[in-house]
Amino acid sequence: MTDRLAGLFFFVLAAGYLWLSAGYVAGFGDPLGPAVFPRVIGIPAAILGLSLAIWPSHNATWAGRAGLLRQVAAMGLLLGYALLLEPLGFVPASFAAILGLSLLMGAPPLRGFLTAALAAPGLYLLFDRLMGLPLPLIGEMLG
Amino acid sequence: MDILALLLDGFSIAVLPLNLALIVGGCFAGTLIGALPGLGPVNGVAILIPLTFAFGLDATSSMILLSAVYYGCMYGGRISAILLNIPGDEPAIMTTLDGYPMARKGHAADALAISGVASFIGATLATIGLTLFAPLLAKAAIYFGPADYFALYVMAFTTIGGITGTDPRKTLLAAMLGLMLGTVGLDPSTGVARYTFGSFHLYDGFDPIVALVGLFAISEILFFLEQKAHGGGLVPPGSVFPRFSRIKEGLGASLRGSLIGFIAGILPGAGASLGAVMSYSFEKRISDRGSFGKGDPRGVAAPEAGNNAASGGALIPMLTLGVPGSGTTAVMLAMLISLNIQPGPLLFERSPDLVWGLVAALYLANFVLLILNLPLIGLFTRVLGLPAWGLMPLVVAISYLGVYAITHAAFDLLVMVGFGVLGFVLRKLEFSLVPVVLGLLLGMDMENNLRRALSISGGDFTILVQSPIAIGIYAVTAGFLVLSLWLSKRSPPQMA
Repeated sequence: MTDRLAGLFFFVLAAGYLWLSAGYVAGFGDPLGPAVFPRVIGIPAAILGLSLAIWPSHNATWAGRAGLLRQVAAMGLLLGYALLLEPLGFVPASFAAILGLSLLMGAPPLRGFLTAALAAPGLYLLFDRLMGLPLPLIGEMLG
Repeated sequence: MDILALLLDGFSIAVLPLNLALIVGGCFAGTLIGALPGLGPVNGVAILIPLTFAFGLDATSSMILLSAVYYGCMYGGRISAILLNIPGDEPAIMTTLDGYPMARKGHAADALAISGVASFIGATLATIGLTLFAPLLAKAAIYFGPADYFALYVMAFTTIGGITGTDPRKTLLAAMLGLMLGTVGLDPSTGVARYTFGSFHLYDGFDPIVALVGLFAISEILFFLEQKAHGGGLVPPGSVFPRFSRIKEGLGASLRGSLIGFIAGILPGAGASLGAVMSYSFEKRISDRGSFGKGDPRGVAAPEAGNNAASGGALIPMLTLGVPGSGTTAVMLAMLISLNIQPGPLLFERSPDLVWGLVAALYLANFVLLILNLPLIGLFTRVLGLPAWGLMPLVVAISYLGVYAITHAAFDLLVMVGFGVLGFVLRKLEFSLVPVVLGLLLGMDMENNLRRALSISGGDFTILVQSPIAIGIYAVTAGFLVLSLWLSKRSPPQMA
C-alpha cells in the first residue's frame, strides 16, 4: 500500500513538474533551453512512479501509536527550534530543544535537565567563544 | 618515479601542524562516531561539513579532516559490533556475525585486535591502490567529452543504489527526485527562475549541505524514536592484551578481504557495505569448516579489511571522475563543490596539493588509527555506555549551529528539517538517500554537459550515443541494471 501511495505521489509530482516546465521559454542562443532537461528527468520519473503505483514491491510498517506520537512531538520540537533560534538566542533555544528531545528519548527527567543545562551553554562556549563561530547568544526577544 | 615525488610533496603538506592536528582529531572523532550506534560515516561527515566551512578551513585541510573521520568511522564501527552485537554503522553488520560470538567466548580483546589490524591492512592497501590507480584513471578521463560525462552521470544514478536487492525503480526515482530538487533556482545558462514559486529564498536553489545534514542527521533522530533497543548487551573486553597468534590467523583473510573490498569500493554506488558483505561471503566460502558464525577470527578479519578497503577505493571515482562511489564520498563531493573545486581529471593537474596532500594524510591517518585502536581501545569501549538520549540531542544542536553558522538564516534551518522528514519517509519506504543527494549535487553538471554536447552537435541528440566511450558506459549501465533487476527478483532485500 505504501508503495502504491509513493508511486502515485511521484507520478503527480513528476506530472506537475513537467507541466510547470512548459512555462520556461528558451533563451537566445541556448541550444538546450531551460525546459528540456526537466523533461528528460520528468518523463521517466512519471513512468517509474506510475509503474510503482501499479506494481508495488514493499509495504512499510510504521511505528506504533506511542512511537508516532514521539515522532510528531520531535517534529514540533525541531520546527520550534528552527523558528526560535534567532528570537530566543542559541543558549535558551538549545536548552529547550535538548531537554525536550532527551525526554522524548527516555531520559530520566533530572538527568535530562542536567544534560541540557550543561550542553547548551557548553556548546555556545565551545563553538562561539573558543572556535569563533558567531552564534546569537541572547535573541532579540529577550535582549 | 613521478608518483613518488608527488607523494613526497603530499607528505610535506600533510605534516603541516594544522593538518597533522586535523588528522589526529579526525581519526579520534571518526572512531567515536563510528563506534556509537546510530551514527555512521555519512552522518558524521555531514554534520562536520558546515563546521569546516564556518571555521574557514581550506579545501585541502577540510578534505583531510573529513577523510580522517571517514577512515576512523570504518575502524570504529566494529567496536560496538563486537562488544554489543550492534553495528556502529552499516558496513559493520558483517562484523557482528563472528565478532560478537568471539566476545561472548571471552576473546573480545582478540577480536578487537584482529579487526583493528585487518582494518589497517585493508585501509593501507586501498590507499596504495588509490595512489597507483587514481592518476591513471585521471589521465584516461581527460579524453571524456561532454556526451561521455552525460553517460557517466546516467551510469552513476543507475548504479548508485548498488546491488543491494532493493527495487531498482526506487533507486532511479530517488535519483530523479534529487535531480528535480537540483533544478530549483535560477537556470545558470538562461537566467530563467525554475520551480521557485516566487520565493527569493529559492533563487539560489537548495544548498546541498543544508539538504544533506537534514537527510542524514535529522532523519536519524526520527528513526531513533521509533525503534526499540536490540542487541545482546555489552560484553566487557576482558583481558586487555590480545594474543599475537590470534592476529596472525586473520592475516590471510585480511589480504583477500582487502582486495575484494577495494574492487567493490571503486564500483560506483557499491561502497563499504558491499565490500564487507562480499569479503565475508568469499572468506566463508573458501575457509569455512563449520566455525563461521561461531567466532572465527577470519570471519572478523575479512569484513573489516573489506569495508576499510572499500572506503579507500570509493575515493577513486570521486576524485578522478567527480562521481562518488558511496554515500560518504557523495557528501565529500558536496563539500568540494561548495568550495568551488570541481573534482575530476583536471583536479590532479590543477590542485595536486589537494590530491596528494590528501593521499599522504590517508597514510598517516592509518597509523594514527592503528595506535588509537590497539592500545587506546579501552577508552572507546567506555563511550559505548553513554545513553542515546544524551547523545542524539547534541547531534541535533550541532547540526543546527553548523547550518546556522554557514547560512545565517532561519529559513535554511526549516529547509533542513524539511529534508529530515523527507529523508525519514524515503528510508521508511526503502528509497535510498544517496541517489537523492547525488541528483541534487550533480544535476547542474549533468544539464551543463548535455548543453555542451548539444551545442557541439547543433542540437542533434544523437551525439549522446556516438562516442565509443559513451556507448561503453551505457553498455555497462544496462548490464548493471539487468543484474540488479534479476537480484531484486531473486532475493528479498537484505540491507536498507
